[in-house]
Amino acid sequence: MTFYQKEINRIKGICYSNDRQIQTVIGMRNYIENNFDKELNLDLLSHIRFTSKFHLLRLFKKYYGQTPRQYLIDKRITKSKIYLRMGMSVSETCYSVGFESPSSFSTLFKKKTGKTPTDFQKEQFSQSQSKVDS
Amino acid sequence: MKIKVLSIPVQDQEKALKFYTETLGFIKKVDVPLSEENRWLTVVNKEEQDGAEILLEPSPKHFEPAKTYQKALFDAGIPYTQFNVENVQQEYDRLNNLGVEFSVNPTEMGTVKIAVFNDTCGNKIQIVEML
Repeated sequence: MTFYQKEINRIKGICYSNDRQIQTVIGMRNYIENNFDKELNLDLLSHIRFTSKFHLLRLFKKYYGQTPRQYLIDKRITKSKIYLRMGMSVSETCYSVGFESPSSFSTLFKKKTGKTPTDFQKEQFSQSQSKVDS
Repeated sequence: MKIKVLSIPVQDQEKALKFYTETLGFIKKVDVPLSEENRWLTVVNKEEQDGAEILLEPSPKHFEPAKTYQKALFDAGIPYTQFNVENVQQEYDRLNNLGVEFSVNPTEMGTVKIAVFNDTCGNKIQIVEML
């Protein structure tokens, strides 16, 4: 057994021995993955998991290193890039990924990617156009 | 500052290019001849060609401490770096069929699943799937 394999087993024993907690946070992540376009409903989640929403928040952060809200925002931004590349309008993209206001979507998108959704989309089209031309 | 290039030390650039493109599925992006047979050689993900590039750099050939460090990591089974995949088991099956050697078979570690393979250029590489 290599040093690394021994370390994997050791760390598993220390950090990942609580299977119930792990199943809870994995379930939460799957829920966010499948429902990113809806408002994050921690009350519903905590109801399903028979636990308080503050406990759920803490668990998620402990295992994924991000709060569910941060994770959800990243997911929405990743998804919105796909929609913008497909040619969806900025406001349509905004609502399709679950944001409520196009202006706050644009601000957040710029903060996360360095470009506004409109500039991002323009850039994508000019890139694909130059591929066609070359 | 932006993250544009990450380097992986390789013992043989040509062999590495073949493995990283033909076996792993990356595509060649930049190939600039430098001194002697050395190249500035980078590969990228097919779907994210404007994303970060991997520089396949020949440091173990030219700098003894790099060679020593690479060998020590390899012998301990420690991955030099890691790549994210959608499904570790599927990627394991695909690479296994191509004859890639694994030192860690698909293993669940809490909220991730990992596996570690030999890149044939002196490194162990880890693949990760978020569960």
